[in-house]
Amino acid sequence: MKRIIIFSFLSLSLISIAPAQEVRVVKASGSKTSLDVSTFGAAGANGFVFRQTLTSDLERCGWFSLVRSASFTVTGSCHDNAGTLTVDCQVLNVLKSSVVLSKTYTDSSPNARRLAHKVADDIIMSIKGFRGICSGRIVMIGTATGNKELYTCDADGGNLHQLTHDKSISMAPRWSPDGSKIVYTSFLKGFADIYMIDSASGKRSVISRSPGINMAGAISPGGGEMLMVLSKDGNPEVYSKSFGSGQLIRLTRTPRAGEASPTWSPDSSQIAYVSDMAGAGSPQLYVMDRSGTSRRLTSRGKENVDPDWGANNLIAFSSRRSGLYSVYIINPATMEERQVSPSDGNYEDPSWASDGRHLVCAKREGGGTRIYLLDTMGDTPVCLTPYGGSWSAPSWCAK
Amino acid sequence: MNTRFAVSMILVSAMAVSMTGCKGLFGKKKGANDGVSDVTLTDPSLLDGQNGNRIGSGSGQIIDAQLSAVQFAFDSALVDETERAKAEAAASYLKANAGTFVTLEGNCDEQGSAEYNMSLGERRAQAVRTYLMNLGIDSTRIQTKSFGKEKPKDPGHDEKAWSVNRRVEFVVMK
Repeated sequence: MKRIIIFSFLSLSLISIAPAQEVRVVKASGSKTSLDVSTFGAAGANGFVFRQTLTSDLERCGWFSLVRSASFTVTGSCHDNAGTLTVDCQVLNVLKSSVVLSKTYTDSSPNARRLAHKVADDIIMSIKGFRGICSGRIVMIGTATGNKELYTCDADGGNLHQLTHDKSISMAPRWSPDGSKIVYTSFLKGFADIYMIDSASGKRSVISRSPGINMAGAISPGGGEMLMVLSKDGNPEVYSKSFGSGQLIRLTRTPRAGEASPTWSPDSSQIAYVSDMAGAGSPQLYVMDRSGTSRRLTSRGKENVDPDWGANNLIAFSSRRSGLYSVYIINPATMEERQVSPSDGNYEDPSWASDGRHLVCAKREGGGTRIYLLDTMGDTPVCLTPYGGSWSAPSWCAK
Repeated sequence: MNTRFAVSMILVSAMAVSMTGCKGLFGKKKGANDGVSDVTLTDPSLLDGQNGNRIGSGSGQIIDAQLSAVQFAFDSALVDETERAKAEAAASYLKANAGTFVTLEGNCDEQGSAEYNMSLGERRAQAVRTYLMNLGIDSTRIQTKSFGKEKPKDPGHDEKAWSVNRRVEFVVMK
């Protein structure tokens, strides 16, 4: 223990550390663990980027209040030298006088932000015992070029990257649960067809291109099949398709209604989706099992749309009540529901983050929409895309 | 704290250095990107000009048939009585012009879910298709297409713009 501390101080002095300047103190909340990162050092341009990103991550993740004289202390430094970042990080449980994390990381300097996200999640794991959301990624639709293209970004909105260059309309992107694929809908060939992108290679293939609409839904938790909405056999109905055999199974038969946005339960035994079978003008959420037996889930609200069934077994969706769209979550077992977005604007199209606590969604702002991080435990929503253009349809990737 | 603990901590640190040194933290070395490669067109069916089973893909020429769009009420997929004359005009045109076919493009206003609006736009187009078929137009001359809320005619954000945008357009080709 003593040797580690001496070693740390030695490394700190070697790279002439500047102290952390901007440690904001968040409102102390009963559910938050106090954490002191004020002595974490940084040197070199990307060292400062690293520390700023790390501090923001630890604040945004929701589990900590960043204060001095805290229960846990993060010490160490990030040193940017000749294109290489070296990070030395220790987490101390002050009350128990025990080191819960001591780790050194290296990466190339331009990866400062990604490395900070990784270290932030390691710190969260060392203190809380579960994974944080800091290394997560988001795929979404952006209009910065004047067309609707797919973009990806980090969990904090940084590392924005344009994925497609189709000069067309892209819609409804969703990651596979393992992060290896993105499925989405595009008018690339004039009609709404479903495509799949392999994340590693960037190779794209056609999943469905039948007459009428082909709308991408969720990929199953096991990754072997995906849901979609097709109108090839009449009005829009829900189907599942096996990636292995190519077999297509029709799941709904509603000659007087349209369906949308199918999503799997965590055990793949049930599917939540939107249907207006209760009456045109009132799309509602329904849940069906694999045999097609369905029940209505939502009762309040003129429109209940865009469901995302989280690994925590809660379904997030947007609901229109008194003219305002808000994000709600519902427990499909108990039918209990509650609003999780504030009433200061329209929040729509939620996607669960991997911690089961946060959601990303689109908030209407200035003639377009921006992506916001919502907290089901009460932290203030955070804008992740303060960029030009309109940003919508976010889907979270844990990997 | 004893020496064994300190040694083990240093070993852990050393292992972390060697692991990250070998692989890179994210298994790549191409800069500040997020690990998702740029999209490339590799599926042969994307390159061959084919377009599923769609009518007239590649060869059709759009004709300005001077047909007015059928308008719809909010969240409705029913062809109102007041709009039927427009569908009848389209049927008359198709009857008088053999060799033409029509794409019915369903559209919605900007309110609500983009995905649900794709279904709603398709149902609007299908409602007009049914109307045309009842007037004697062969189903092989009609295809439906939905733009959902993706292609507003009026860029405004009020009820006036929304009512303009809830429509099915007739795109005639031969």
